[in-house]
Amino acid sequence: MREFPFRARRPVLLPACGWVLLALALLSCGTEEGSGLERVRRAGVLRWGADAQGGEPYAMEDPDEPGRMRGFEVELAEALARELGVRARFVQNDWSNLIPSLERGSFDVALNGIEITPARAGRVLFTRPYFIFNLRLLARKDDASVTRLESLRGRRVGTLANSQAWELLLRSGVEAVPYEGVEEPYIDLEQGRVDGVLMDDIIAQRYGQPRPGLRVVGDVGEGYYAIAVRPGEEDLRAALDEALVRIARSGELRAIFRRWGIDSAAQQRMVDWTDAQTREVLADTRTTHLGWGQLVLFLQAAVVTLLVSVGAMALAIPLGVGLALVRLYGPGWAGRLATVYVELFRGTPVLLQLYVLYYGLAGVLRLDALSAAVLGLGLNYAAYESEVYRAGVQAVPRGQFEAALALGMHTRLAVRRVVMPQAFRVALPGVTNDFIALLKDSSLVSVISVVELTKRMTITAVDVRSWLLPGALCALLYLAMSYPLSRLARRLEARLERG
Amino acid sequence: MIEVKDLSKRYEGRTVLDGISAAFGPGEVVALVGPSGGGKSTLLRCLNGLEPFDEGSVRVGGDVLGPGAARARGEQVWNIRRRVGFVFQQWHLFAHRTALGNVMEAPVYVKGLGRREAREQGRALLAKVGLSHREDAYPSELSGGEQQRVAIARALAMEPEALLLDEPTSALDPERVGELVDLLARLRADGLTLVVVTHEMRFARELASRMLVLHGGRIIEEGPPARVLDSPRHERTRAFLGLDRAAGLSPSRS
Repeated sequence: MREFPFRARRPVLLPACGWVLLALALLSCGTEEGSGLERVRRAGVLRWGADAQGGEPYAMEDPDEPGRMRGFEVELAEALARELGVRARFVQNDWSNLIPSLERGSFDVALNGIEITPARAGRVLFTRPYFIFNLRLLARKDDASVTRLESLRGRRVGTLANSQAWELLLRSGVEAVPYEGVEEPYIDLEQGRVDGVLMDDIIAQRYGQPRPGLRVVGDVGEGYYAIAVRPGEEDLRAALDEALVRIARSGELRAIFRRWGIDSAAQQRMVDWTDAQTREVLADTRTTHLGWGQLVLFLQAAVVTLLVSVGAMALAIPLGVGLALVRLYGPGWAGRLATVYVELFRGTPVLLQLYVLYYGLAGVLRLDALSAAVLGLGLNYAAYESEVYRAGVQAVPRGQFEAALALGMHTRLAVRRVVMPQAFRVALPGVTNDFIALLKDSSLVSVISVVELTKRMTITAVDVRSWLLPGALCALLYLAMSYPLSRLARRLEARLERG
Repeated sequence: MIEVKDLSKRYEGRTVLDGISAAFGPGEVVALVGPSGGGKSTLLRCLNGLEPFDEGSVRVGGDVLGPGAARARGEQVWNIRRRVGFVFQQWHLFAHRTALGNVMEAPVYVKGLGRREAREQGRALLAKVGLSHREDAYPSELSGGEQQRVAIARALAMEPEALLLDEPTSALDPERVGELVDLLARLRADGLTLVVVTHEMRFARELASRMLVLHGGRIIEEGPPARVLDSPRHERTRAFLGLDRAAGLSPSRS
């Protein structure tokens, strides 16, 4: 398993971030109008943004020569730069933020397996496509019931959120399960957590088809990679289009594809591709509007967020109390073990823990995504909780414990009846704080394909081409969950204050 | 009632208690006096197993407490604690319980008494110490003297045979000391053994039937308070009481 989602397909952003980016995008609009090509020529370099984590065969760091890039898109960028009479310069950028970074001006073009979709066409200019791919459906070998996409109606099919495949799945009546990396959906397919995976054929070839338990069902549609250019830089787009036509006609483009083993007869269509065809692609996909249907989906996602958070906290509190008590009163070896637990879970990212729990241990521990989310967050937060309670216990004067012993109480009874109730009072603000943090941290479980509130927001935001309304709705729902909780905690604190 | 034999305790290389033997009979009131660091409070804490010791034994009725940590000493230590109540210098009332809740806690959870019975008993005890009107007050709402009386009621709720009191007058206004003496005298009349660590010689004289003077971890003098205070035999006692020529002050006013 690769460590992290190395091909995230949509921006993982909190609502506030979305607003900031929107503001930045608005600010950057209108600068250097129409001067894109001139700027590139003057500088003598074409800066192209991509994510080296994208992996084979797109663009990646050469394992034999760190710092050097290789991949079919690297060769494509070099060929295009040469046609423009400049040099190509690779700029590393997180895939999910390629479009915002392009708008900000971090590079001249974004070239990294970006599909032509209406959602993106609203924000950037697309060149003509440079690669035609197919959406390929994979299923398990032992599951003969899957013969085509329609046979998966009502069942779970995995893909990358907001990709072209994602939109196709939404329209075809299957339950679309969103992933952030290209390897994870195939792991889940093998594990039986989804019944099909629909992704670009070059991804399927490398990450799905080599798995012995999987088979290709078939190709169910076409998609197109194109280069994204800042809106307003029509001249740069035109120059890149001309360059693409030249290298397509000369056969250089397909030669690059051949070197990377991704060439097919279909790629010949690149030679006489027209703008009309691009318009057709964009018109083909329906766009979604924010309506009652979306609101219901948001509320459902909020319920998932609440469920995951409450479940995780219900696990974290008793486990945290146990850990704290073992550290304070248990025998030495148990205390050390508890300390190791706390340091391990507190000292490593919860994201990593979720990955290990769900994908890493998939062979030995078969959990569905929701259980893994509750368990993963619960185990992680138990470490924090134990520290809150430990501090709480230590804040209870030693005399309270001695007074209990002097009345003939055993250690356990004294802790339960005298120390813990008072420790809890000290710990309460910390516990409330942790719960609110957990409510927001629960958005991390989207990496193991649970659609909670933040994930729903990002999916919708891309669907409706706006971050503002979905972001505000998402923020409102988080507040609607956390604010009553803070109020409740404050009232409880006030009540305990007296004693 | 309580019998101490050859009790020794060392702490960080220093001998805190050095072979103490003493007996505290039923209905007896014994005052432990002596200079600070003489071992009075440590001895008191050893009597109900709050403090481990290194040699000797403490016997309460049929239960014998030997050297070592409380955890290692098994049921004996719990039995002894149930038979010997302790009133701390700072009282240590359970901060999260009302006065009545403090008194009810041990009967309900240690003895397994029913809540209703425990409440009746608790109310009677609070009445006995003169705090019926403060049943529902939390410790933070009680004065020092009131907290002390709740602490005494809490200890009495376990129906102990003996009560150990650590510096009971130290945090009281002088005018409250008389009330405490009255209360303890009533407990003495009920047949309770009282062992009191104190610096207040007048208090000891009024209440105690016997006085032990501890110095350097040993009992250096023992006798009726009037005799010890008025004609001490040991020169260390004289020094402690300030009876040597240099000080020349009456000890009972210290």
